[in-house]
Amino acid sequence: MEISDENFRVWAEKNEVYFDGVFRLAGPDAYAPIYSLISGLLHEGHKQVTFNLTGLEFLNSSGINLLAKLTIEARKMDDLLLVVKGTSQYPWQAKSLPNLKKLHPLIDLRLA
Amino acid sequence: MTPTVYGIESLTGISLDSSTRLTLSDGPLQLGWKHSGMTSDFIAEVMALRYSRSRKDYVQAHHDIGYLSNELIENAVKFRQPGEILIEAGILDGTFLIRVKNTIDGVTSSRFQQLLHRLQSRDPGELLLEQIETNAISAESGSGLGLLTLLSDYDAKMAWAFEDNNDQRVILTTTAAVAMPPSSNL
Repeated sequence: MEISDENFRVWAEKNEVYFDGVFRLAGPDAYAPIYSLISGLLHEGHKQVTFNLTGLEFLNSSGINLLAKLTIEARKMDDLLLVVKGTSQYPWQAKSLPNLKKLHPLIDLRLA
Repeated sequence: MTPTVYGIESLTGISLDSSTRLTLSDGPLQLGWKHSGMTSDFIAEVMALRYSRSRKDYVQAHHDIGYLSNELIENAVKFRQPGEILIEAGILDGTFLIRVKNTIDGVTSSRFQQLLHRLQSRDPGELLLEQIETNAISAESGSGLGLLTLLSDYDAKMAWAFEDNNDQRVILTTTAAVAMPPSSNL
């Protein structure tokens, strides 16, 4: 399944979710379909789920809230390892992704 | 009437007369959400040029200016009452400064002032995590998360001035500053 508009694309392949482009949606309501897509994947019984953010160029604060909410959702599941793959190519990732680790210390955060 | 100021008061006095000035009007076309992204992209394109001597500095400056501008303009678009949004932006002494002026209603003004009051005595990084936890259990918007990311993750210096406008409306002027990378072509 895939959700996209002219600026971004998010899709899942097996247990990995890919984010691509510029996410600048207007708030929690606008991000709700993306939240449902990924939250569904978290509850499919995988041992590990990966958020691949290496194509995620820009994310507004409502989008950061989305990632944080998903991280908290994953934190509730004892058997699930959440891997977050990022890149230092996009400055927001080095600034804001470490917050996810503070929310859920067991995350495997990889900032290449 | 003297405005009520929160944050770093000295920022409100800085003149941005020689800066870039943009006015977003809401006339018959209605100001769309899209305009806040386009406007912040434009400001980032124009302002980051002077850092193009170093690829790393340019990318950093372009992103920081874009993120800061986008959050401030998104807030202005989201919470404003009908009327213009005035945006001034410039680089002074190695610092990017942006000032956004718009009108809000009395209820928004009091809610926002309560949030700023709470901010004064707390570490923004701690408040950010607290707010994220709160947002995870409620779907409420307008949580101030954008401002908290600016203060916590971008080390932005900010000031907010509220001025009564005699008609239940309040003029809100937000000024924000972030340090820019060292290299410049100027």
